[in-house]
Amino acid sequence: MVAIKLIPHILSWVGIVLILLRGFPERKRVVAVAVGAGFALGVAGTFFLFRSFPGDFSFSLIRDVVGGSFLLLWGIAVASIYRSTVRNFPLSWGERFFASIFFAGVGAFMSGMIAGAISVCRLGTSGGMLMLLILVLVACVLVFESLAIERLLPPSFTVSNSALMAGVVALLLFSSSSILRLDLFSPLSMKVMKFTHDFVHQFFESMLIPDHLFIHIHLWRYIGLLFGKEVGFWGGLIIWFAPAILIALAISFERLPSVAHIRQGAQRRTVVATAIRARRFRLVVPGITILVLAGAGYQSRFPAVEYWDPKPIVISAGPSGEIVIPLKGEVDLKDGKLHKYLFSQGGKEARFFVLMTPTGQLTVDLDACAICKPDGYGQTEGTVLCYYCKTLIPLETVGKPGGCNPVPIHFTEKKDGVYIDGLTLINTWSTTVQTTARVKEGSK
Amino acid sequence: MKRLLRIIWAILFSRATPPFVIGFFLLVYVGIAFITDETLIALMRYTRTSFFLTAMLALLPLNFAVRLVVETIGYLKMRRVVMVSTEDVQPGLFDETVELTVTSSFEQLQSHLEALGYKTRRIAGALGAWRGISIFPARILFIAGVFLLYAGILISLTTRTSERVAIVEGEKFSSSTGESGIVERITFEPSSGLILAKKLSMEVAASSGKGKNVFGVYPPSLYQGAFVYPRYLGIGLFFNFTAPELPAGYETFSPLNIYPPGKEATSVIPGSPYRLVFSLVGPDDETDPYTTGRMNFNFKLLKGKDLVLTGSAPRGGEFVRDGYRLAFRDSRRLVITDFIRDYGVLMIWASGILFVIAGCFWLPVRIFFPRSEMLFRSGPDRIQAFSRAEGRGRKHEGVFHEALDLLEMRRTDRKSFEG
Repeated sequence: MVAIKLIPHILSWVGIVLILLRGFPERKRVVAVAVGAGFALGVAGTFFLFRSFPGDFSFSLIRDVVGGSFLLLWGIAVASIYRSTVRNFPLSWGERFFASIFFAGVGAFMSGMIAGAISVCRLGTSGGMLMLLILVLVACVLVFESLAIERLLPPSFTVSNSALMAGVVALLLFSSSSILRLDLFSPLSMKVMKFTHDFVHQFFESMLIPDHLFIHIHLWRYIGLLFGKEVGFWGGLIIWFAPAILIALAISFERLPSVAHIRQGAQRRTVVATAIRARRFRLVVPGITILVLAGAGYQSRFPAVEYWDPKPIVISAGPSGEIVIPLKGEVDLKDGKLHKYLFSQGGKEARFFVLMTPTGQLTVDLDACAICKPDGYGQTEGTVLCYYCKTLIPLETVGKPGGCNPVPIHFTEKKDGVYIDGLTLINTWSTTVQTTARVKEGSK
Repeated sequence: MKRLLRIIWAILFSRATPPFVIGFFLLVYVGIAFITDETLIALMRYTRTSFFLTAMLALLPLNFAVRLVVETIGYLKMRRVVMVSTEDVQPGLFDETVELTVTSSFEQLQSHLEALGYKTRRIAGALGAWRGISIFPARILFIAGVFLLYAGILISLTTRTSERVAIVEGEKFSSSTGESGIVERITFEPSSGLILAKKLSMEVAASSGKGKNVFGVYPPSLYQGAFVYPRYLGIGLFFNFTAPELPAGYETFSPLNIYPPGKEATSVIPGSPYRLVFSLVGPDDETDPYTTGRMNFNFKLLKGKDLVLTGSAPRGGEFVRDGYRLAFRDSRRLVITDFIRDYGVLMIWASGILFVIAGCFWLPVRIFFPRSEMLFRSGPDRIQAFSRAEGRGRKHEGVFHEALDLLEMRRTDRKSFEG
């Protein structure tokens, strides 16, 4: 079972080691040692991190490191496209740094460390030190295996510096996207959706463009598309794939060697053909990178996780207009699971849930947030997930307002149960749903 | 000092500056995203208030302004080189440079290149050849467009001021900068435009008493140096309210943001626990009350949190019950308008126009008439040859290499003749 869980990580690990070995052909030994040592340190470091900070902090930290490597890849991609399209672009210091033994060692070490940390996030610390020790041993064996496999690859298969970076980061993203709490694509889509909404709004304001009141409805519907979640998804895809595509383009745009000094036409053609063939081989890794990123995006979009999503229990208020939910009745409110309820009053309905957070606090929240359509939440792996935008909200922060967090509802906890004012609940639901519906319809 | 100036010049001129600055702002954006959900607005606010961020942003228009000049000079130099008007060929101007240990007067080469469709110019020991149209005009328009875009964003971010005013029919048209004449008429009617569905016009008598100014929706009109930006429509309601505790009554003019029909706005009766919530009734014939001027108002009277009564009455009508009386003496159209001083807007629009023109020029030229150039210079015992192409580079390189072969062949021929 553990081995099956680790399949994406093992595949990523072998891929990372192979790319690193081929990317630094002169420094294979340094790379092999550094990447193995990095993995071991990553495993040990993450183990102690989880022991010290068992909550969401450790996951956030590792996710931010993976996100940072993606940002770095963006920088490299932009630099490489400039390098191949702009004459005399000042990057020689960067190329010298890339070629140095220092970069080979540090780059391999960091890659190993992140890969090790991600693997521990998958396994958890419940297996103890022995399990992690086995993990490190397996990783080291795979390094030796990769050394053997690398020798079988054709010598013409070369990896450019930027493609090396793209390949390694894509494999780390693939590895992390199989763990819901390390996934980057869904939060990225959400941020893109928010950015697009804010940008369009600011653009209209700045350019003094009239409000929807004055504009044709059919035209406004097109503008409204910019406010939908599809924009987040497609925009996220562009940002996700762009570095690999830019790097592939940079390789395609690389200048062929000057053959003007060669006076035999056949020799000229041979030199050019050889350069074109070598360039095509250098495109293999960016091509694989695009496939790996697609796999990571797919894992993020369709995670192999089951959500706890109970059917809402229909509930009504007493004569005083107060809803009372017993702490232990049909359901146990303090079992750490999300319990959904449906309340109706005056032809209006409100969906909400009660949850005991890991800190031992009961919280009552709408089954909706202040920014998305009210598709509701499901519970999984220490988080609740917004079905609309796929954002994960750590259980520790449920009950706090803001962002995509469920909208908290005021309640009173007494010995016999939880007391909620029915009117407040209905009004909060109506206000929230009206606001989010207006946003989705594209109103400014 | 010289070193410092050189660094400043390098930053201003370098093509690495824009991606560096944009990358920097991206990082700041990502950093702010950890703190707040309103990331873009926060970034704009920080850029406006922080000298460092403003200076960083200013690097972008400065860089493009410098590049506009430098690239124009570079193009003119290049043109002089290819037209064989100068001997100063700087390194990096061409894609390929080669030296042949052969001499020639280039007569044969000139006719060969002309036969291939190149235009040529030969002056004492030098031959320039070119074909196609340079994309330089598109490039310059693009750089000018980027300069205007960033300059516009910078100016807009740092100098924009906004003042919101309710423009009411029959009242003075005024902002903090001064007053104009009376707002004679506000009309709101369907429009047959491609983009705008409704046409709004505010007719204002000139303060001199002669003629009138008309302010519409788009493009925004200027009033005393500020753009007039209509935001929302509303109704200015003159009403009189009396209650058992307020026998003297309360009369006021209240600008209400209650358009379109159904939208609610509240007016508080000062010194009392009463609040009135108004909305405009949508007529059964589906006409627009704002356009026709036939207005009926729904209202809710609240005392604290309690609903006292609800009802409706037309413009000029009144509602009386249980000692309460509400009379709608008059209602006037109003437009909530922003007076905006922002000259960056013009630059941003101008940049858009330049981008469109540049694109329209670039695409056909790049596809159908890409520029390619060659230069051959004869020295005492050798020939220097240079080549560059803006498109279809492989084909041009083939011609260039053939031309070099031709020159080399002459030496071989001469050698065999001498031999």
